[in-house]
Amino acid sequence: MTPKVDSQAVRQAIEVLPLLSPSVTQLLQTLARDGYEIDDVVQIIKYDAALTARVLRTVNSPVFGLLNPVTSLERAISYLGERVIISIVLADQCGDMFTRPLPGYDAQQSALWRHDLFCAFASREMAGHARLACEPGLAFTAGLLHDIGKFVFSPFWAAASGEALERIEQGQVTDYLQAEQLLAGLDHAEVGFAMARHWQFPEALQAAIRYHHAPGLAPEQFRMLSYAVHLGDMLAMMAGADTGSDGMQYQLDGDYAQYFDVSSQDLAVIMLDAEEHFKKAEASLAVE
Amino acid sequence: MRQVVLGIGDLGASNTPGEVVKTYALGSCVAVMMLYPKTRAVGMVHVALPESSINPAKGQSCPGYFADLGVPLLLREMVRLGCPGNGRGIIVKLAGGASVMGHNDTFNIGKRNILAVKRSLWSLGMGAIAEDVGANYSRTVTMSVDSGLITISCPGRGQWEI
Repeated sequence: MTPKVDSQAVRQAIEVLPLLSPSVTQLLQTLARDGYEIDDVVQIIKYDAALTARVLRTVNSPVFGLLNPVTSLERAISYLGERVIISIVLADQCGDMFTRPLPGYDAQQSALWRHDLFCAFASREMAGHARLACEPGLAFTAGLLHDIGKFVFSPFWAAASGEALERIEQGQVTDYLQAEQLLAGLDHAEVGFAMARHWQFPEALQAAIRYHHAPGLAPEQFRMLSYAVHLGDMLAMMAGADTGSDGMQYQLDGDYAQYFDVSSQDLAVIMLDAEEHFKKAEASLAVE
Repeated sequence: MRQVVLGIGDLGASNTPGEVVKTYALGSCVAVMMLYPKTRAVGMVHVALPESSINPAKGQSCPGYFADLGVPLLLREMVRLGCPGNGRGIIVKLAGGASVMGHNDTFNIGKRNILAVKRSLWSLGMGAIAEDVGANYSRTVTMSVDSGLITISCPGRGQWEI
């Protein structure tokens, strides 16, 4: 069938995306590196006055309940930790990408941010159950970025998305990703991967974005990470933090059990912990 | 129309005319809803997990999060609004408990939630007369004090009543 979406137009939309701020690019590169120091993060943020103010505002917000105000950037970064810092930086520098409604998915404002934030915490918790090494901080960042493709893809997908659920129910495709491929000729993971390359994200993040619905196809060195994000994505949807009409419409890759040791009891604990962290982060990182 | 919006683990009951009780995007969570037509009291709890034994502290701070604590607590809340303590005459309906695609028992928290809610109702001598549970889509649920109607909606699927 002829795709209902002009894939060339989608690719052009990616090519003209403005570059991310140097703070975002540098921070993503730094956090994906083994053995980085807190000072490396301080050095990136301290030259950005608005970002510094945001970090200090966050650490002193009532959510963290500190008795004495924190005025040193280094102390704030050290206290908040990697996952809150990357969330602040992305919310501050790319807020619009995460908060704009997604018409193609019938998703309200900030649905993508809530989904990504929950997925980030769930992916991080999941990394703790990996059978081989899986860096929790990187799993968090990958979880936060895994669905960026929907930001660009959504307006184009709106022309075809009305048929997606019908195609799944008729058994013509097995899940929403296949429906995107069938009706649009490309899918949001592929679009996200192209965006990640455009923005020169570290390879690990590019892979996790590309393979978060097909982690078994990820190159071996990124497979654990891709599975962590795949499972985090599933948990976010199960917790109701979805992005609209595609919620819970993706196949779980059962081969995760080769890579993760998770019982149903563990899963309940992961869900609970992820939800607690998510609620706290959502309150402290109000994204406009 | 005033909305009482419930988050995960929240519980709410009302007999105030014009009010609706609502919860968004249940996913694998289950909304247990009770209606008492005699006094037009309605109540809902948004249950996320089956058993509080996995985290007793959370059970203390947010009992509605778990089926084993949330269901009896909802009944107590209904009693506070004038319903009989034995649950007689209270109509119970359920929604939610969706599963991800791929038939995996470990990830089927939705099914475990439904079973735990039913077990908890059973121990109170109660049972659901209507339910819209399982499958693989997330539901948003609204209960109206005035009409007692329960409306379920889902992006891309429209809305319906149970």
